[in-house]
Amino acid sequence: MAGFSELIKNFDKTRDYVRDFFVYGCKIRSDFDRKSLRTYSDEKRRVESWMGDYMRYDDSVRGRSVSISVDSGHIPENPLYNAYYSKSFTDNDIRLHFFIMDILNDGQSRTLKDITDALNSDYGQLFDEQTVRNKLKEYAEEGIVSSEKAGKTLHYSLSCDRADDYLSEFSGLEDALKFFSETQHFGIIGNSILKMLGLKNDMFFIKHNYMIHTLEDILMPEILKAIDGKKYLKFTSFPNRHRRDIEVSEEEKECVPMQILVSVQTGRRYLAVYIPRMKRFTALRLDYIRKVKAGSAFEDYDRIKEIFDRNISRVFGVSFGVRKETGTVSPMKITFYVDEEKEDYIIDRLEREKRCCLIEKTGDKLYTLTADVFDPNELMHWAKTFIGRIVNIEGGSESIRTRFYRDIERMKRMYSGDEDEHIQ
Amino acid sequence: MTLCCSSLRSLSRTVKTGGLFNRTADGRLRRITKNAPVKILTKLQKSWLKAKLTDKRIRLFMDDETLQRLDEKLANVKPFYKKENFRIIDRFADKDNFGSDEYIANFRSALDAAKHRKIMYVEFVSGHGKRMSGKFVILKLEYSPKNEKFRAYTFLLRHDRIKCSGIMNIGRITKIVDTGRIFRTPVSVDDYFSSMKNGSPAVINVKTERNGVERFMLEFASYEKHTVRDLETGRYTVELWYDKQNETELLIQLLSFGPVIEIVGPPELRKQAKMRIDRQAELLEKYRKEANND
Repeated sequence: MAGFSELIKNFDKTRDYVRDFFVYGCKIRSDFDRKSLRTYSDEKRRVESWMGDYMRYDDSVRGRSVSISVDSGHIPENPLYNAYYSKSFTDNDIRLHFFIMDILNDGQSRTLKDITDALNSDYGQLFDEQTVRNKLKEYAEEGIVSSEKAGKTLHYSLSCDRADDYLSEFSGLEDALKFFSETQHFGIIGNSILKMLGLKNDMFFIKHNYMIHTLEDILMPEILKAIDGKKYLKFTSFPNRHRRDIEVSEEEKECVPMQILVSVQTGRRYLAVYIPRMKRFTALRLDYIRKVKAGSAFEDYDRIKEIFDRNISRVFGVSFGVRKETGTVSPMKITFYVDEEKEDYIIDRLEREKRCCLIEKTGDKLYTLTADVFDPNELMHWAKTFIGRIVNIEGGSESIRTRFYRDIERMKRMYSGDEDEHIQ
Repeated sequence: MTLCCSSLRSLSRTVKTGGLFNRTADGRLRRITKNAPVKILTKLQKSWLKAKLTDKRIRLFMDDETLQRLDEKLANVKPFYKKENFRIIDRFADKDNFGSDEYIANFRSALDAAKHRKIMYVEFVSGHGKRMSGKFVILKLEYSPKNEKFRAYTFLLRHDRIKCSGIMNIGRITKIVDTGRIFRTPVSVDDYFSSMKNGSPAVINVKTERNGVERFMLEFASYEKHTVRDLETGRYTVELWYDKQNETELLIQLLSFGPVIEIVGPPELRKQAKMRIDRQAELLEKYRKEANND
């Protein structure tokens, strides 16, 4: 049996575990019931190695729980980037990397035979041409090596785009790299440039920072490829471990990707997609998606994208409701109490947070928000941030309004010390 | 490249099999390559840089002429992503004006001051609309994707000594001038952050209804927290450590979960929640009666 290796072969598994450690923080070994003891131990050791001081252990009668506890607004570098620096490699990979770089260091171009011979004569390394060719092909695809044909023979040379040259040539790039390495989108790539140069972000801290998004970025290149190519996207999901009442099939499904929707308040990111079979738009949680693969072209892409662009302007969060293609809206009106003379900051808040809704003064100290959106239910999580000011709710649906009024009654009981609910 | 333990083990294996290093007479390891490794930008890294050229925040760091040269250098590179592939759904509308020349100048002054610990004379408008001024040391900069704003962690100086700490919005700066002096007293960023924390954490009970636990844990994933699960009730108790100045933001965020969570402590936070809920219940009652009378 092979021993533990910190290097990752299966990134999905790592994403799955890190999410549980990071988000939940109170699970013990037996809560990870679908996984083997060895898998759990290996993933735990990897995360311990990356997260270091941010790991927290709590012992209870149930066992030891492992969690990641970090104030992500007060750290200069996302420690989860380490997952990307842990890809497994072979001895040949690492040897060929350094030797080929060394052989091509003088800027001259060489043939495959020249390089293979130099490996043998200059470094005592015996590689067959096929192995060296594969490595050169890989590096040419990654842009590390340039290949040009002279006659029938390919000549290889090192790319002339040196990171240190860029830094000295383009003033301000170092600061830009430090900032963008910690912000969306794909900060990990900026971090890899900094790392190569022996630099670290030491200047910018990110508030409201959802570090775990970096692990979902592994899906993005394929998703972007499908969007750009106007293609279908095949995907599989993780089993749903938090809602045992919901069965999530692990079978491959198909959708047409439209856009990536990012919430900077709830920590969730979604892929907005069109499901041709159902003729409707929906949003898939990115952290629930295990794997993606771009498929064949979707012929009707332009027409559907046009409808999507129209519809998204009437989506408050990510929900397109349960309507088909063109959708139907249910206007909802929420009236807030605001004393303009003393509380103009509340009007400012309504203005800056209203998104696609309208806000207007409708009476003495009364302001009404009109939400002409697909799924009015999505408004309520936000509306409840105004608890203490909501005068009335109209429209939407009866169930939304009733739930809100009941919620306030329950909260009043709860905070008066009368709450003894059996509502699970 | 930073090498992790396994990488080192693999390297060690490579050494033993006659790989990257030789052992010298004095027993030391010496690399057998002739040159230090070159730092080549990959296609992926260049395409990421190219995408960043379309991000208006890059003008905060680089002037137009430099950006144009970089754009020319990357002329044949395809951007890694297009801005329109992403949509931020819940960003606040009153974001900083990154395109303004005045904003850019103030940002660069603040960044330069933070790098060199320069003492700056700053005039700005406070959150309450008051004109303020003073000599400040800028420690670091903070960016919030939710607010799309930059802020500076600062110390206000009086007679060259730290009087107090505070966070200043870059967008509210009206004048920032270098005094020509450097603040040489050592200061720790960790101590600065610790001083901003509330004395005790928020203690929250979270119920499992409406998928509350997952929603709560994810939304508050950016906080330092400690969670305990009660096996009998199935409820979770979470301690959240927060900055005192963000208390109202935290409170309204907690209230948005409705009865799915309960703020247990600290008492002041619970009291504020109770006041808002009582006021809410009264408002509904009052307007319901008025509607009935009409």
